[in-house]
Order: sequence, then C-alpha cells, then structure tokens
Amino acid sequence: MGELELVVADRGQRSVASHQYHRGALRVMRPHYLDDSGQVCYVVVNPGGAYLGADLFVLDVEVSDFASLLLTTQSATKVYRTPGSFAEQRMTVRLGEGARLELMPDQLIAYREASYRQRTSVTLRPSSSLVMAEVVTPGWSPDGAAFRYEEVRLRNDLHVETEAGTELLVLDNLLIRPPLHDVTGLGFMEGYSHLGSLVVVDARVDQALADELHGLTAGCHALTGISLTRTVGGTTGLVLRSLSNSTDELNHLLRSCTNFLRGRWYGQGPLDLRKH
Amino acid sequence: MSYQLALQQLTDSALPTGAFAHSFGFETYIDRALVFDEGSLGIWLSAFVSQSLTYADGLAIRFLYEGGDLGELDSLLSASLLPRQVREASVKMGGRLLEIGGEVFPSPALELYRDLVTTGRAAGHQPLAFAVVARSLGVPLPEALAAYLFATVTSLTQNAVRAIPLGQNAGQRVLRKAHDDVAAAIEHIAHLTPDDLGAVSPGLEISQMRHERQRARMFMS
Repeated sequence: MGELELVVADRGQRSVASHQYHRGALRVMRPHYLDDSGQVCYVVVNPGGAYLGADLFVLDVEVSDFASLLLTTQSATKVYRTPGSFAEQRMTVRLGEGARLELMPDQLIAYREASYRQRTSVTLRPSSSLVMAEVVTPGWSPDGAAFRYEEVRLRNDLHVETEAGTELLVLDNLLIRPPLHDVTGLGFMEGYSHLGSLVVVDARVDQALADELHGLTAGCHALTGISLTRTVGGTTGLVLRSLSNSTDELNHLLRSCTNFLRGRWYGQGPLDLRKH
Repeated sequence: MSYQLALQQLTDSALPTGAFAHSFGFETYIDRALVFDEGSLGIWLSAFVSQSLTYADGLAIRFLYEGGDLGELDSLLSASLLPRQVREASVKMGGRLLEIGGEVFPSPALELYRDLVTTGRAAGHQPLAFAVVARSLGVPLPEALAAYLFATVTSLTQNAVRAIPLGQNAGQRVLRKAHDDVAAAIEHIAHLTPDDLGAVSPGLEISQMRHERQRARMFMS
C-alpha cells in the first residue's frame, strides 16, 4: 500500500513543491533541478521495490499555473504474482494554466501470474502541456517463456477543462490478457516483445509535428504508428505507439521524441536522469 | 418478422454508407505482404473481430441497448478511436447511417442523436447510429450485434477480395469461417465491463496509424 500527494507551484525562477504527503510504500526523493529552466524533477520511490496482490498505490499530483514538473521513477515497476487478485496504481493529475508535466516512469515488468491495473486520469487546460511515455515489457517467467502474466491494464483518461465544461480528449485503454488468446502474433504484438507509448497533449501539436516525430523514429528497429486526436478547446493530442524487441530500443525511440519536444518548445537539452 | 426486412436493408452491403472505401488497417498489412491470401486474411479478420469490433463497436452497441447515455458513449468512442482515419471513418459512415435512417426508419431516438450531432454535441459514430436504429425497430441485442458484426466483416472481406486480390469463392470461404469469430465475439461482449470499452490491440492500432503514411492507397482507412 502506498499514497503520495504532490503539488508543484511556480515561484518565479523555479517550480517548487507547495504540498507533499506520503504514507506507506511510496515516497519521493529530494527534488532536483536538472537545468536552469526552473523545471523541478521528482523521483518516485517504492522502497518495497515491487507490486504484489491486492496492493494499491494512489498518487495525486497537481501542477499549478505556470509550474513545470518532471516526474519519474527510481526503477522499473515490477509486478509479481497476484494470485486471485491484482495490484493497482491509480494516479490523478491536474494541470493548471500554462502548467507542464513530463511523466517518464521506468518500464513496467509484469511477471508470471501477475495482474496489474494502472489508471491515470489527467485533467488539463488548453494552455497546459503534457508529455507521458511508458514501456511495457513481456515479463519473462523462470522457464524463459514470455507473456506469462494474467493481465495488464493501462488506462489513461485525459480530460480538457474549458469554460464550457470538461471534455474527454483521449481514452487510451491498453488491455493485454495473455491467457485469453495468443497475444504474440499478427494484430496484437506482431511478433515483437515490447510495447512503447507516448502521449502528448499541447496546443502546439499539429500534423507537421507528427511528421517530424515520424521522421525521428524512422531509423529505429521498431514498428511505430503516430496519429493525432481530435482538437478540444484549441488543444490536440498526439499518440505514438511502438513495438520492438528491447526496452533500450524503445527508450531510445521515446527519448528521441521527448528530447526533440524539450528542445523545440523549451530550449532544454536532452533529458539526463542519473538514477541513484 | 416485423424487423427482419428492415435489418436486412440496414446491413446490406449495398447500403450507401461508403464501407467500400475503408480497410480499417488491413491495407497496411497488404502493403507489408503480411496479408496476401485467404489464410492470412482470415487471421487478420479474426483479430479485428475479437479486438476492435468487440471492445469498441460491439461493446458500445451493448451499452446503448442497456440504457447507456448516448452522448457519453459517443464521446468515449471519439476519445478511444486514436488512429485518425479510423475515427473519421466511424463518423463518416455514422453520418450516412443517421441520414439514411432518418429517411427510412425515423424514430424519436434517432432524431435525438441527429440533433446531438447537428448541434455539435456528438460526433455520430457508426455503431451507435446502427444501435439506435436497430433498437427502435425492436431488434433484440444478440441479433443486432450479429447483424452489425457480420455486415462489417462482409464489407471488409469484399474490400479485401478486390485489394489482395482473391477469388470470389475464397471470399465466401473467409466469410463462412468468420461465423465462429462473430459468435465468439457476441459471447465475449456480453461479459465485458465498462472498463473494457475502447481497449486496443497495439498491432491493429499501429497498422491503422501507419496507413496515414502509406504511399499507394486504395482505401481511406
């Protein structure tokens, strides 16, 4: 079990935590400033190191007006056997006017007989900027076979809040249930083992940007698709989905895209996370 | 008997919704030489029925029949159909179905959906337009699902027969094999939960996204 609350606010030169609370097996490390942009970086730590059956992790994150947060994890999320039950992570995110969040967790590894549900609900403004990237591995079992877990559900609900009300922009619902049918072949994993996702919501997202990101990914050893969502309140989503055979290849591909956005939109250098 | 002829008219491949112009991503597989004959088409079709048609179209139809909010279901489909061409295809064919339905099978429920669409409060997706009309005609849910799923499978198979190309008899054999997929999907849809709506299979979705960048295309999706 674990609970984490974090509110980040803009204090002129820098973004700082204005509220922080944790309970149980979740906490954040001391904040870092990786460059002089004022963006604060928090690293989420799960001292237990693993998710087990009936575990529930609840994260509540708010980035206030004009603040900027980079949220990552200390290590991979490992889900072990969850007999007759499931491990669950629920994350709620609110982004204020002009607020920015880069959500860059390490990969998810679901082991044999694991069931895992992750639900991330984001409410943002048309002026907010969201970048979230994630990698799911096949979770090898002791006998060397892949995809021996029971179920992985990763669901992102992204809502845009305007004066007219709140509207659902993206429902990104990934459900992998290896026991139900063969997930390895045509139509599902296409013979690949790893899945990467990138979701960007920003008023600057357009087809030209999708084309540039497509160009960046073209040389990677991966099968990649990119498409734009509809536009709500003047902001648009971009979804990139990629299949490959290694975490490194997908991290490289996703980082190429997120680093491109950091440079293009904020003049920041490539992300360099020296994990402790 | 009352709704049989209406249902046949609604699901006839001659119904002018423009289904002949969409591959829902199989053209990408043809381009990559992964769908090239009767057997490989059957594999793709089976994946499409058990994933996309089950978790998006089929489940949306079931929830509408069970009294789900039309505007909310419409918004969930718009948000979960992430490949742009697939989202546009659903709305384009949905719009045609709303128009045709308004002329030949008018009902207060259909008028309501048309009104939501014309006032910009809904996009007007094909499975929901179909479900509204079928429900107003008194078609029971299992029959409505079977008719919708098989009509979709039929138009996709006809399109694949032209695109691969395949013989007409091979197309009929593919369709016969798809009976089992459609029956399994109807059974599966009955047991899904609201959390399952819009669940995607990465491979099908990536192919639908990649279709946007394919050079030579016969289809709009």
